[in-house]
Amino acid sequence: MNIELTDVTRTFGRNKAVDGVSLAVGPGVFGLLGPNGAGKTSLLRMLATVLPPSSGTVRLLDKDPGRPAARTQIRRRLGYLPQNLGYYPSFTVAEFVEYFALLKEMPAHQVPKAVAAAVEQVDLGPRAKARLRTLSGGMLRRVGIAQAIVNGPDLLLLDEPTAGLDPEQRVAFRTLIRDLGQRATVVVSTHLVEDVGTACSEVALMAEGKVVFRGTPDELTAQGEGHEIGDSPLERGYGAVLAASRKQVAA
Amino acid sequence: MNDPSWNEPISGESRSAATDDIDLDRVWVNVAAEVWRRHPGRLERTAARLLRSPGLARALFTTPSLLLPWLIASAVVLAVGALTQVGAGQPLVWLIAPAVAAVGIAYSYGPGLDPAWELSCSMPVSDRLVLLTRGVAVFAVNAVLGLIASIATLATHAAQPTITAQLTFAWLLPMTAACALALAVAVAVRSAIAGAGAGVGAWLTLVLAHSATDYGATDGAGGVLSAAALTSAITDANLYLPYLAVAVCCAVIVLFATRPQRGLL
Repeated sequence: MNIELTDVTRTFGRNKAVDGVSLAVGPGVFGLLGPNGAGKTSLLRMLATVLPPSSGTVRLLDKDPGRPAARTQIRRRLGYLPQNLGYYPSFTVAEFVEYFALLKEMPAHQVPKAVAAAVEQVDLGPRAKARLRTLSGGMLRRVGIAQAIVNGPDLLLLDEPTAGLDPEQRVAFRTLIRDLGQRATVVVSTHLVEDVGTACSEVALMAEGKVVFRGTPDELTAQGEGHEIGDSPLERGYGAVLAASRKQVAA
Repeated sequence: MNDPSWNEPISGESRSAATDDIDLDRVWVNVAAEVWRRHPGRLERTAARLLRSPGLARALFTTPSLLLPWLIASAVVLAVGALTQVGAGQPLVWLIAPAVAAVGIAYSYGPGLDPAWELSCSMPVSDRLVLLTRGVAVFAVNAVLGLIASIATLATHAAQPTITAQLTFAWLLPMTAACALALAVAVAVRSAIAGAGAGVGAWLTLVLAHSATDYGATDGAGGVLSAAALTSAITDANLYLPYLAVAVCCAVIVLFATRPQRGLL
């Protein structure tokens, strides 16, 4: 298992962002769904070793990220796209991706080829020498994806990766993560249910910091039988699980 | 080029066979890697060798307050200070150098300032190491700029060797304290503006406090404070220990705030 979480909690003051989450995830594309404030980003930041959990145990790539040496090893094999990608406006696409390849401690001689491959994979080849300040939001998102995959990560964490992408790019992106999921664990946090339906082999739905559903997209779809809110079967499943969860909390 | 096959027309079948043998994507990636390759400058290559990390060297050269506009601004401010000192005899270099350096230090790293801070925190190159390397680099650059400005003003105080020595060197220790304070506040509060404000504010408070205390030592020219009196007061050897103590305390705060988190994570 590349991700093993046991009873992980994260609090910010009195607010419990993540509340006793236990998960074990192996290779494949894992979708993390949930409404705003469900705790997806906090969970992803913990998996990215940016945020420590308040309690519980985390194991990533069979290592304990609590130990500095192990954490460094994990980070070398990690790809992370944060929700808010910061960028240096004067950098070119290739320079930005190269910067993070170097920070990921890739051997210097492998970096140019890895950068070229990552930039090509997100279809930004023609804009490789363009300054980031000249790119659209969707293109910047793709730059973020390129830096995340540049080191060929074994654990890829993507927070809202399709935000700002046009439909054609989203289709290409889903193909890309399906390919990456053949050998790595890809965790995709998203609001867009259709991304999960087409790209993910497994899905977890979070609400109020808890995982309230875990299964395949088909199983989530099956939850929606008889539920009327939602445009697609998967959306109805999503809505039904959330409604049941809210009812349970209210009770 | 004696191979006759070069002159033969290529049939559709053989063209297809040829492209089957060559992975064009792979070829293109190799070409693109060469075309897009960035060639680091001599300084960056030297830093990479010294730091034993191309990533750390690259992070060093993307320090927001080491970028060209910052460097030019710092040089201009200190040059204006030196010119004013030459013209009016007021000791502006040592007065402004700690504040300029403190702002630069606070603006070297942190959330809200370094755009890629969140990403940097998930990188194997330690963000603490990046912070400290950038801090040292900004301090060194400002110290060199300040020393140059001080040396440029030597002529005005050639007759006063004590003041000359103070102008050239004595501000380094107060500058260290101001920079350390700026860094500690910036890291603890996670705000470059707060750090810069603390560094500059503390330095101004110190200068103004001494100005008020030593106001009796005016040169009688319209109440203008004696340059020598203020310089001596702020760079007094008795203050070296407090400056050093502030710098050490702030360094401890920085090290604590950026410690690698053990235990849970």
